[in-house]
Amino acid sequence: MRVSCLQENLSRGLGAVGRSVAVRSTLPVAQNILIVAEESRLKLVATNLEMATTCWVGAKVEEEGSITVPARLVTEFVNSLPNELVNIEMPAGGRTVQFTCGRFQARMNGIDADDFPPVPEIADGIGAEVEADGLREAISRVTMAAATDESRPVLTGINVEFEGERLTLAAADGFRLAVYKMPLAKAIEGKTTVIVPARTLNEVHRLLGEQEEPVYITVNEQRSQALFRLSNAEIVTQLVQGTFPNYSQVIPKSYDTRAVADVSEFTRVARMGSVFARDASNIVRLLVTPGGEMKPGKITVTAQAEEIGDNTGDLDALVDGKEAKIAFNVKYLLDVLGVVKQSQVALEVTTPSSPGVIRPIGTDNYVHVIMPMFVQW
Amino acid sequence: MLSPDVVSRIAAGEVVERPASIVKELVENSIDAGADRIDIECSGGGAALVCVADNGQGIPAEQVDMAFLRHATSKIASLDDLVNVHSLGFRGEALPSIAAVADVEVSTSIGDAVPGTYLYMRGGTIQHHESRPRARGTTIAVRRLFRHFPARLKFLKAESTENGHSAQVVSQYALAYPSLAFSLLLEDRVALRSTGNGDLRDVVAGLFGAELARAMVPVEYASERLSVAGLAAPASLSRAGRSHQSTFINHRWVRSPLLQRAIDEAYRGMLHEGRNPIAILNLDLPPNRVDVNVHPSKAQVKFADEQEVFRAVREALKGALARTSVATDSRHISLSSGGTQGAWLVAEATQDSAYPPAAAEPTTGAGSLPPLRVLGQIRNTYVAAEGPDGLYLIDQHAAHERVVYDRLIGRRTGHEIEVQGLLEPIAIELTPAEDATLSTIMDRLTEVGFAIEAFGSRTYLLRSFPAVIGEADVVDIVHDLLRELTDVNQRGVYERLATSIACHAAVRAGKHLATEEMRHLIRQLEASTQPRTCPHGRPTVVRFDEAQLEKMFGRRT
Repeated sequence: MRVSCLQENLSRGLGAVGRSVAVRSTLPVAQNILIVAEESRLKLVATNLEMATTCWVGAKVEEEGSITVPARLVTEFVNSLPNELVNIEMPAGGRTVQFTCGRFQARMNGIDADDFPPVPEIADGIGAEVEADGLREAISRVTMAAATDESRPVLTGINVEFEGERLTLAAADGFRLAVYKMPLAKAIEGKTTVIVPARTLNEVHRLLGEQEEPVYITVNEQRSQALFRLSNAEIVTQLVQGTFPNYSQVIPKSYDTRAVADVSEFTRVARMGSVFARDASNIVRLLVTPGGEMKPGKITVTAQAEEIGDNTGDLDALVDGKEAKIAFNVKYLLDVLGVVKQSQVALEVTTPSSPGVIRPIGTDNYVHVIMPMFVQW
Repeated sequence: MLSPDVVSRIAAGEVVERPASIVKELVENSIDAGADRIDIECSGGGAALVCVADNGQGIPAEQVDMAFLRHATSKIASLDDLVNVHSLGFRGEALPSIAAVADVEVSTSIGDAVPGTYLYMRGGTIQHHESRPRARGTTIAVRRLFRHFPARLKFLKAESTENGHSAQVVSQYALAYPSLAFSLLLEDRVALRSTGNGDLRDVVAGLFGAELARAMVPVEYASERLSVAGLAAPASLSRAGRSHQSTFINHRWVRSPLLQRAIDEAYRGMLHEGRNPIAILNLDLPPNRVDVNVHPSKAQVKFADEQEVFRAVREALKGALARTSVATDSRHISLSSGGTQGAWLVAEATQDSAYPPAAAEPTTGAGSLPPLRVLGQIRNTYVAAEGPDGLYLIDQHAAHERVVYDRLIGRRTGHEIEVQGLLEPIAIELTPAEDATLSTIMDRLTEVGFAIEAFGSRTYLLRSFPAVIGEADVVDIVHDLLRELTDVNQRGVYERLATSIACHAAVRAGKHLATEEMRHLIRQLEASTQPRTCPHGRPTVVRFDEAQLEKMFGRRT
């Protein structure tokens, strides 16, 4: 193998695949990055056996070849090199790869490329095409609602539903539900539903960066793996097996009180409450008061921590319906307010013990449901 | 009809089980007689001789014979007196019972001016009766116990065992009456001696050692109808058995499961499994609120209002414990040095002087933590912090457990429990054992905020849970609770729940904490009333004081 490429490009490529490297694996080769010199480019691959990321870097290939080298070692070394041409050389059949860059040199002992876990090929199956912009927004609005603990694996994933011209992403962790709908660039036949690990989608989001070209998603026939093809990287992921809860039934069909408020004001008041709520199981109490003849309606947010103190803040709101009370885990409230791009949201409440709903104003593609906390008023 | 002889022997069997019972009866008589100095002597394990001498009011010459008649007592006269009995003895059974099973010598006088009386009895009948001079007081010598009762004699244990029982009895009275001077000679060696200076701490020092005595804190509690006083040791000093626990009702030594439970309750969550608190407590309550006449030995009692007594003892101890400190902090605790002479001399002790003289500072709120400055985290498990009095290492898991536990307990007394609802119920499958437990403690679980519904056989739906669990694995907690609660009666279920929730909700060892998180944790721990132990009783905090550090670095020798 003899190949050369710019340090900047190599560094970016290693950074792209770096998150997919196995952290604690019984398979040592999974802690390595596969480097393949092929057809005037360098292919970098990392896998933790659940997700595999492939990235291509422009390079001048003089002699094809492949090797795997320890991920951390090569990444940290390359990152510390000056932005000059890096030469990578390895004698055919060898195991030691030499990096040369200006006045710097390194030799690394690798593991044979044939030992690297093969990345599944996903060619057939259901294919879909989505705009990068829409996918970025969809991922950022739902993944925080996915469960982080592994006790119910299904909930650590995002339910992804392809149907006709529409793609629907949904995440739920038992306390909240986030559903985002977006158009597919091309309609597909029938309906396909898979559960993609939230980690994978977060990685897709990261690698999307500023990309403008559409993303191609392919799900294999067995619905066990999926491929996300970006402009200069590919992610192949295992899909979570199981049935996602039927979430449509937990979205309240109606409300008794609806308050429309400014997102930045709402965020500020909620964040203030979170300071005191920290010592009170994160509880903030929301009191929605309808406006009168001359005065506007408002949402009052209070937090009280035993023996520590309490605080109250309110914000103007356009209130439709009667007075309402509801208590939330402030973390959930801030999570959703933090991802809404629109300037206003509507808070819909029925009773203090039934789910509260938050919807951005000006679009109907996003709904966020939060289960309240039952407290004394 | 049984002959009087048989009746007296049956009755004697209830009162006189072993030499220690004689010691008890005679010491009680001395105390009732108003003595302030009581000398006890035993030899041959008490079977050969039990002798109790006091300087009390003595028995008038004309009443000495009477004292040995069954149910002859000068202490009560009517049924009304029995309800309001203030003296230790009142049944009028002790002396006749003793006389029925041993030879008894009595020498008594009511004052220097009057000649005293000497009486010698054998087999319950008077052999010898004469006037003999004696200083004010009474001496009763019991010899050849059970000589005519070979079956009973056979059941007496080794001399050392019997002496141990007698020493235990005397110890308890010494603890109950710190203002009386007791001495105990066992086989001609001084086993115990108290000065009678009125300081319980001195008595404890003599019995259990000066170090323990110094560490103990006063217990004081008074309500309308009863008061509790005594000494209690901090949770860091505990014992495997209950030998260091003494409870007295109106200065009468009693063994009461109720009081034991109250003591345990006060220390709940502060001691390791199998360890028992150290506490010396006397309850003063009107005689008509307590029945000591349950058994001739009067070691069992019945209370008119058990709840009241239970609460009083628990609250008294909790109040005291809030002021205790960790063991390393002993130099802050004062010991009022008694008088000229060491309070107790223990026979085995080589030193014949008192325990070391006392430091000067009073016991103050040493149970709480001083303000700490976080230095960093060690092995993602311990938080290192600097305090005004040294280096502190804090176990992050144990500390957080304490914080969460306190919060849970506090919530219960204050507000209603806050509950997090679930958007989608979680299905939980139980083992048959867990299922059985659930049916018995369902109400308790509901009380703390769990909403659990039956959903088919041994399957349940969890619809809500206590908010304090936060992001911990609620299903694991439910399983744990059902496992841990299998062998628990209703009492204390809430505390166990809190302990278990705290354990699960608390940050684990091995988790990296940001500086802000550590500060937050320490601040919360500082606010706790019992910051030094986790709910399981493990320590949360270890302190190295400056002197120790200097020693370790050889700056000080």
